[in-house]
Amino acid sequence: MDTLVARYSRPAYHENEAFSEEERQGLVDSVPSLSLKFAMPPVAHPSAWLRAATDDRSNPSCPIKIAHGTTTLAFRFQGGIIVATDSRATAGNWIASQTVKKVIEINSDLLGTMAGGAADCQYWLAWLGMQCRLHELRHKRRISVAAASKILANLVYQYKGMGLSMGTMCAGVTKEEGPALYYIDSDGTRLAGNLFCVGSGQTFAYGVLDAEYRYDLSVEEALELGSRSILAATHRDAYSGGFINLYHVKESGWEKHGFSDTNPIFWKTKLEKGEFSNVTSDLSERV
Amino acid sequence: MADRYSFSLTTFSPSGKLVQIEYALNAVNQGVTALGIKATNGIVLATEKKSSSPLADPSSLSKISLITPNIGMVYSGMGPDYRVLVDKARKVSHTGYKRIYNEYPPTRILVQDVARVMQEATQSGGVRPYGVSLLIAGWDEGILPEEDEEKEAEEGAGGDEKKKPSGKTGGILKGGPMLYQVDPSGSYFPWKATAIGKSATTAKTFLEKRYTEGLELEDAVHIALLTLKETIEGEMNGETIEIGIVGPPADHLLGVEGVEGARGPRFRKLTPQEIEDYLTNL
Amino acid sequence: MVGKDCVAIACDLRLGLQALTVSNNFPKIFQYGDNVFLGLTGLATDLSTVSDLFRYKVNMYRLREERNIAPKTFANLVSSSLYEKRFGPYFVSPVVAGLDPKTSKPFICGFDSIGCIDFAADFIVSGTATDQLYGMCESLWEPNLAPEDLFETISQALMSAVDRDALSGWGAHVYIIEKDKVTKRLLKGRQD
Repeated sequence: MDTLVARYSRPAYHENEAFSEEERQGLVDSVPSLSLKFAMPPVAHPSAWLRAATDDRSNPSCPIKIAHGTTTLAFRFQGGIIVATDSRATAGNWIASQTVKKVIEINSDLLGTMAGGAADCQYWLAWLGMQCRLHELRHKRRISVAAASKILANLVYQYKGMGLSMGTMCAGVTKEEGPALYYIDSDGTRLAGNLFCVGSGQTFAYGVLDAEYRYDLSVEEALELGSRSILAATHRDAYSGGFINLYHVKESGWEKHGFSDTNPIFWKTKLEKGEFSNVTSDLSERV
Repeated sequence: MADRYSFSLTTFSPSGKLVQIEYALNAVNQGVTALGIKATNGIVLATEKKSSSPLADPSSLSKISLITPNIGMVYSGMGPDYRVLVDKARKVSHTGYKRIYNEYPPTRILVQDVARVMQEATQSGGVRPYGVSLLIAGWDEGILPEEDEEKEAEEGAGGDEKKKPSGKTGGILKGGPMLYQVDPSGSYFPWKATAIGKSATTAKTFLEKRYTEGLELEDAVHIALLTLKETIEGEMNGETIEIGIVGPPADHLLGVEGVEGARGPRFRKLTPQEIEDYLTNL
Repeated sequence: MVGKDCVAIACDLRLGLQALTVSNNFPKIFQYGDNVFLGLTGLATDLSTVSDLFRYKVNMYRLREERNIAPKTFANLVSSSLYEKRFGPYFVSPVVAGLDPKTSKPFICGFDSIGCIDFAADFIVSGTATDQLYGMCESLWEPNLAPEDLFETISQALMSAVDRDALSGWGAHVYIIEKDKVTKRLLKGRQD
């Protein structure tokens, strides 16, 4: 009991924690605790200091620009779950990369998506992968999506207020749950649902997705819808773009459906389907 | 008071005249004669410098003024009014042009600005019209492509004497010399050659006889002196005659050397010595 | 961008409100005579105010002086007009490009928002992708480019630069200005 109390009443961050103790607990506990030690800046309010230095929304001239800005989506349908993302990473207005993999393959039937701070997502989803594998070894069976997402939610909650920035989705199919989709963000929110869009381009993706979504979509239709929703978001949102990363999660595990450049897809969509009529493709054309 | 329309506020008479302006023109027509002649490669402005007393120092008196480096002005009529207009012309050439476009106004633009100043004095309360007519002479750079740049370069160097009349007829587009007259009413006219003041009519008749198309600046100075000779009252020498010319850039007046692309003023006044030289060759 | 007996000016077509792309057909280049072009970047409302202001000023100039304005004269007009608003500037950074009507020499210059002129012999850049454009122009530009080569150079520079800027792109307009010919082309860029 004392150990339990001690564990839960421990401050989220503390400098002189015994590392070996931490590590030991991290490895054996089914509920992961704060298992890693982060060096804290030697200032009175580390999180406020970090926010001042890195939050480019409230302070566009902040010295450190953290890569973010994204569109990701995932939705459940009769054939499983579709997961789709763009691939742009921006630091301020600078496009740092157009080829970011924002879908993280946690294991052969669990996917996580990245939105928000690129490093935060990358680090903690990798860490989640480790926890899921440990769970699998301990319990000799695959972790449920519910449990995996809860591990992540509990983790980020421990760091609440310290400037973590993530909006992720966990998608997987298990025998017990069927296709399961969870939304977890760095505020500590964890939601189960049928359809989520996350990131700066979420509204644009929701616009297309909501208009066309049905639970009984065929796999073909569902993949196309996911792709088209991301395309719409990359078009209107400055901080989304690059490539469309498409996954289909089904009972046998996830299946990748390409990492394709938006540019040819866009012009194909415009010229062949007559969509995006707002875009000029000829000087004499009047819009 | 015989005439109710004679006071300083310029008011129309029932017959449609502004008699104050006519009185101003009368003042001009009593003034010392001034003349201007446009040549193909420049302009000459000339007038007599009359001093009321043999004790006056003529070198301090100046009736021809530089307005911008390429524009000069002479008057006939009331000296004090003229000096006010010179000040205003110099000022407006900067506030209304140089400070906006970073270049000096073309002659016509300056003439219009000065004419506006003079017109406003015919329509404002509490003022009288200016008692002067002006001759404004200037050189415009023009914006059309040079048709024969080599020829112009020769002229600029001022060396060659076998020059053909250049295509420059003045004006904003082609560039070249322009000569205008501005009257107290604010109206203005471009001239090839003209005269204002006491003996304007005689002088113009003379100019009509002597003026030819394709005149060179040197010939124009010559004709100007001959015309003045017809009308002058006193003696003619470097002290009593004033001449301003618009000609090739006077780089020696620049004050600096070795600045690439810097051109000297095209308008300059002839020194008494230069005038004497012209007079001896007359 | 300056070439041999020619100049080029180009702009992207995006109009955005922070991350939201409002329009993808918003040209930022304005013509004020046969050979005088103005490019404007910055606050959209000031873009239209400033472009209309110069339309008015240039028209008044044309009526008053019975001639077209020369690029250098126009550049000085832009400068003095911007400085008039020294203590409440228009949020624009203009670029002027043209050919001198008398000598047909290329003329380009740029300004800050209160009218300081930056005369350049090679290229001028402006806008949110300024850093990227400097990098592209510094590496691609060379002296005495012929019109077609200049078109290729300015287009490659612009397209590559805006593809690394989140707030620019969505197509481009390119003008190649020669002595008695102006060619306008539309570049179909990435739409993300």
